[in-house]
Amino acid sequence: MNARATELLAIPLRAARRAGLAWGLSLAALVVMTVAFWPAFQDQTELADLLEGIPEPMIEAFGMTDFTSPAGYLRGNLYAIMVPLFLAIAGVLLMNGQTASDEDSGRMEQYLAQPVSRQGVFLGRVIGVATWVVFIGLLLLVAQLASNAVFGLDIATDRLLATVVLCLLIGLLHAGLAAFVAGLTGRPGLVLAVGMLVAVFGYVAAALFPLSDVLEPWKAVSPWDWALGHDPLVNATEWWRYLALGVPAFVLAGLGTWAFARRDVHAA
Amino acid sequence: MATLLEPLRVTGLVKSYGDVQAVRGIDLAVEPGEVFGFVGPNGAGKSTTIRCILDLLRPTAGEIRLFGEDPRTAGAGLRERVAYVPGELRLPERMTARQFLTSIGRLRTRFERDRIGELGERFKLDLDRRMRDLSSGNRRKVSVLSAFLTDADLLVLDEPTGGLDPLMQHEVLRLVRERRDAGATVFLSSHILSEVQRVADRMAVLRAGRIVASGTVNEVRGLARQDVEIWFETDVPPELATLPGIEDARIEGRRFTAVLTGSARPLIDALYGRGVTSILIQEPDLEEAFLRLYRDGPDATPEEPS
Repeated sequence: MNARATELLAIPLRAARRAGLAWGLSLAALVVMTVAFWPAFQDQTELADLLEGIPEPMIEAFGMTDFTSPAGYLRGNLYAIMVPLFLAIAGVLLMNGQTASDEDSGRMEQYLAQPVSRQGVFLGRVIGVATWVVFIGLLLLVAQLASNAVFGLDIATDRLLATVVLCLLIGLLHAGLAAFVAGLTGRPGLVLAVGMLVAVFGYVAAALFPLSDVLEPWKAVSPWDWALGHDPLVNATEWWRYLALGVPAFVLAGLGTWAFARRDVHAA
Repeated sequence: MATLLEPLRVTGLVKSYGDVQAVRGIDLAVEPGEVFGFVGPNGAGKSTTIRCILDLLRPTAGEIRLFGEDPRTAGAGLRERVAYVPGELRLPERMTARQFLTSIGRLRTRFERDRIGELGERFKLDLDRRMRDLSSGNRRKVSVLSAFLTDADLLVLDEPTGGLDPLMQHEVLRLVRERRDAGATVFLSSHILSEVQRVADRMAVLRAGRIVASGTVNEVRGLARQDVEIWFETDVPPELATLPGIEDARIEGRRFTAVLTGSARPLIDALYGRGVTSILIQEPDLEEAFLRLYRDGPDATPEEPS
């Protein structure tokens, strides 16, 4: 990589440093604290009694089936909603900050006037943010494995790895979507709106559509269903699930980069 | 040889945003080694034109050539020869000036990193403070430095003295002259006529997206109006009111006021031996200075098809 490309990548890596670290450490702390309650929870029967009174589909919607196994506990507390949702939000916010928001505020202008291509500047931002999202995922994985060992939560590492990677891919998919809208429009408000709507709708479609007989088949439109519909903490993950999330993330970011080079840059 | 190519030529440039035409057909050519002043009131289309030149905006119609090449298709290499100071300036807030300039330097092959300290001192800029703690004038200095540290053949400066105190404005204009003397070409926009007059060789006056006057600074200067106020020891000689170039003359006792257009020579000649106690000739703001041009200007002519 030449000096220019390195600098174009270093700019977003530096600029998103604080936000990236904050997201990573917060999610790691969430994981550690959740797992820390496992020993106390393990013998707990009252919750099971409580859940008796709630309709079965509702329990499934919130990922709270089988709270007493390690996989059920992690799914219900972390991997059904919290972790993928936070990763999706982090992906949208970080990408927005380095693309549309930076452009719209006029802070990108002085860089774009240098002897670098428009695509180069944008792609640097995309790769920089993707790197931070991957870093957040890694930190989360390390926190999960370490706290499992400490608090005696016994779960297969390969299943856990697959689950974290799938959640990470949800984050990257939403980051890719944010890059697409940012490249196309350069409007930070729109990037946020589209990103958040897709994240929330994706969750709702995967979690709540199954409650209705009419909507049930439509859960397949949700990236959350592709990623987590098979319960990756328990079951093996088919290879197509990685592709179903990774390929659109890649294509969306690529289209955003392409579009960015073909329109007016916003003035401050 | 390459630097002798015409640094900038704009032909029939039109830029519209929906129904709004910000630039309505601009033609200009900048010659190698000159300082070209681009003057107009705020909102006349100066920044829009400049952002088209930098390929930040895509023209609705017309053609731009930088050293004979289209900035749209010539790619990144062409921008190695161009340095830019944006008009609306925003810089990364958490970076220091030094970090920012170093980062810009890494994006260019020709950038005098060793001179960051020297120029920082010359502009009395604290290089190690974060951008968000700098005043807008100091941020302007950072941007000006980033342009003047390059070895660009063409400097495109959009109101580079905005927000600077008079001393620093003077320093920027001195840098402009230095670079011109070193062979560079400068395209300088401003809404202050006197500033452009001080450094430019030729200039164009822009109004509502069109050029209403252009030529050498002296030629354009001749079109501008100046406010004249003269105090006499005795009564005002009445023939002053009928001199060529004098309009709106008013005589109140020993005080004479008028608007002067064109050469001041007839007036100065007429004052010889007349017991003048004081003379004040000053330039009104740009709208005033080119009032007549603006009045008879673009709005009187129908829209050109683009």
